[in-house]
Amino acid sequence: MTEPPRFTVEVDYNRYLAIDATSVDAIVTVTATGDAPAATSDALEVIIIDCSTSMSGNKIRSARQATAAAIAELRDGVAFAVVVGTQDARQLYPDRGVARADARTRAEATTYVERLAANGGTGIGSWLKLTGQIADGFAGPLKHAILLTDGQNGERAVHFDAALRSVVGKFTCDCRGVGTDWRVDELRTISSALLGSVDIVADPADLAADFQAIMGAAMGKSMADVALRLWTPRGASIRFVKQVSPTVEDLTGRRNESGPQRGDYPLGSWGAESREYHVAIDIEAGSIDEDVLAARISLVTAGSDDVLGQLLVPVTWTDDTALSTRIARGVAHYTGQAELAEAIQEGLAARKAGDVATATARLGRAVALAAESGNSDTARLLERVVDVIDAPSGTVTLRRSVSDADEMTLDTRSTKTVRVRGAEQ
Amino acid sequence: MLRAVMCPDCAEPVHADDLFCESCGRDLRLDRDATRATASPEPCVRCGTPADGESDYCSGCGLRRNDGTDHVEIDLAVLAGVSDRGLVHRRNEDAMALGKLARGTEVIAAVVCDGVSSVRDPQLASRSAAETTLTGLLGAGSGSGSSDELIRSSVATAAKAVATLAGSSLRDAPSCTLVCGLVERSDDGTAAISVGWVGDSRAYWLSDAGSRLLTHDHSWAAEQIAAGVLDEETAMSAPMAHAITRWIGADGPAEPDVMTFTPQTPGVLLLCTDGLWNYVPDADELAGLTLPTVAEEGPIAAATELTGIAIEAGGRDNITVVVIPVSPDLPRSTA
Repeated sequence: MTEPPRFTVEVDYNRYLAIDATSVDAIVTVTATGDAPAATSDALEVIIIDCSTSMSGNKIRSARQATAAAIAELRDGVAFAVVVGTQDARQLYPDRGVARADARTRAEATTYVERLAANGGTGIGSWLKLTGQIADGFAGPLKHAILLTDGQNGERAVHFDAALRSVVGKFTCDCRGVGTDWRVDELRTISSALLGSVDIVADPADLAADFQAIMGAAMGKSMADVALRLWTPRGASIRFVKQVSPTVEDLTGRRNESGPQRGDYPLGSWGAESREYHVAIDIEAGSIDEDVLAARISLVTAGSDDVLGQLLVPVTWTDDTALSTRIARGVAHYTGQAELAEAIQEGLAARKAGDVATATARLGRAVALAAESGNSDTARLLERVVDVIDAPSGTVTLRRSVSDADEMTLDTRSTKTVRVRGAEQ
Repeated sequence: MLRAVMCPDCAEPVHADDLFCESCGRDLRLDRDATRATASPEPCVRCGTPADGESDYCSGCGLRRNDGTDHVEIDLAVLAGVSDRGLVHRRNEDAMALGKLARGTEVIAAVVCDGVSSVRDPQLASRSAAETTLTGLLGAGSGSGSSDELIRSSVATAAKAVATLAGSSLRDAPSCTLVCGLVERSDDGTAAISVGWVGDSRAYWLSDAGSRLLTHDHSWAAEQIAAGVLDEETAMSAPMAHAITRWIGADGPAEPDVMTFTPQTPGVLLLCTDGLWNYVPDADELAGLTLPTVAEEGPIAAATELTGIAIEAGGRDNITVVVIPVSPDLPRSTA
């Protein structure tokens, strides 16, 4: 038996509300410590490789190398499978079910992967469904997939949506787009629904290192299916629940009612890591000096009442404006980071649509927010799309020629946030 | 000698000379009580949701339940204390623990703590520190060692107990001040008083023969005055006047100062938080308010009266007052 991780939950918010105020904003930091990875028998890895005709040449060669690199990372005893995707899905290795990683199975799988050829269409929904079937047949709790594609999905939207819905909760999935012919929103929809990440690998030569890193991180996960449980008082409404670090991800719509005045938001699997959430609630106004619990936030094992960590968010109404007007630093910071992601996505969409005025305004706002918050990675990506005249005021002009890779990189990484500067740890 | 005719815990009859209750095993020579939270069995005052006994807050509308600590009175006859939320704070973060022990030498002990309101759950720190320190002090007479050492070891044990409340994060760790008084009476009728403190909760000796403040605050203002940097008026009006420089908590320097003296005249040992002394800091004034009431109506009446004076004056802070009459000339059996 390995030790499960220990969770700590901390909150940053202003507990004082002005008379008649009803909005409560809190930044919740969840940290899991203890780096013992899960028992190998608990974990399943599925590697899904796009083998459509468009992958021919460099891309399929790099995909073979990347898949081999990922297979080499599998710890002994971990269950795995390789799925080949065209207009349909086919299991490449093993023939059916899953293989247990050891020197022989890793070598065998690699041999199969090396013979992969690109020939066919792109039907991502069917790839996900086959992966779901493999996950269904596996009893362990930690089920993860890597999905690699280079193109747009060729399926009808209804077919794809139904397929995606049918696998939600069956496995988590990190998506990678290679080259620049795929669609950011398509992969973001998948990674978001399946609690994973999305990124661009513009140069196929970088794929192997990226797959190795994803697999390394997946092998470090030790706790499957953690959920954020939120209790709120009667009459309260949830404005939103967002993950805000390391990336922005809106969780509001994922709520499952788990009891009276109580809902669970699935957070996927955890290794030793820290994530932050912005919980925004409206409660009924109270009278002065009244002490009311605006939320009880716990971390639970999904589908159970096993509480891994908990904290309370009490508030008090006061006529002391010095107290009620304070804005918690974390709340201000992450409100800015969420707006940054939004400004980039809206700016790029406007640019694509030829709306120069909106694109300039939104991307300018993004430049200002990135500068203000010290998000230098995003600031650098922005500079490949706009010429910055004055960063603090967000004065920019659109660059006339922008490479597809730069634009897609900015789009996929727009949700990456930085932590509060100078925060105590 | 304790003249119990029924056990204070289980109400079964006991003999006057019994050391322990035959029914429940209670030590009959010991009497102690402290600020303790009790889950209110009452339905929520705002929405009527029944108490679940699990949370400080109503499970329906979220309103904080009265946990029984808003107003606490403890009367052990030979000493008494009152602790009150006051008029401004939303809960009582002060705590007190009082005890008397008739085993060998007679021992009376009391502890008063004031939770630091800028940290998480200060009320848990003050309650834990008061109870733990009292348990240490009531060990007096059973071991060797001076009162000074006993106070230091009791406070050190309390500091450890409070430190465990911090959990994994030292940031805003639960913490509190502490003042404790220990009165040990020997067979010849003399009484030795020892006082230990951390932070700005105070002990006073009040007597017709002369009253004085026994403690010096571990606070920014007191240290500025003591160092001769600022005069009292300037220091006390500074925004950080009340910032304490020592406290009991996971992140605090918890070493107490200790003083000991043997009174030659009858008087009252008064322990209190700044909820009282902010309004009445002067020892002679406190003596004038306290001594006549103690003489006529006993310590609980005096503690109630002093608390009332602080509330009348504005009740800006939690108020805790413990009154311990000490009469070195009188025979020792006062219970």
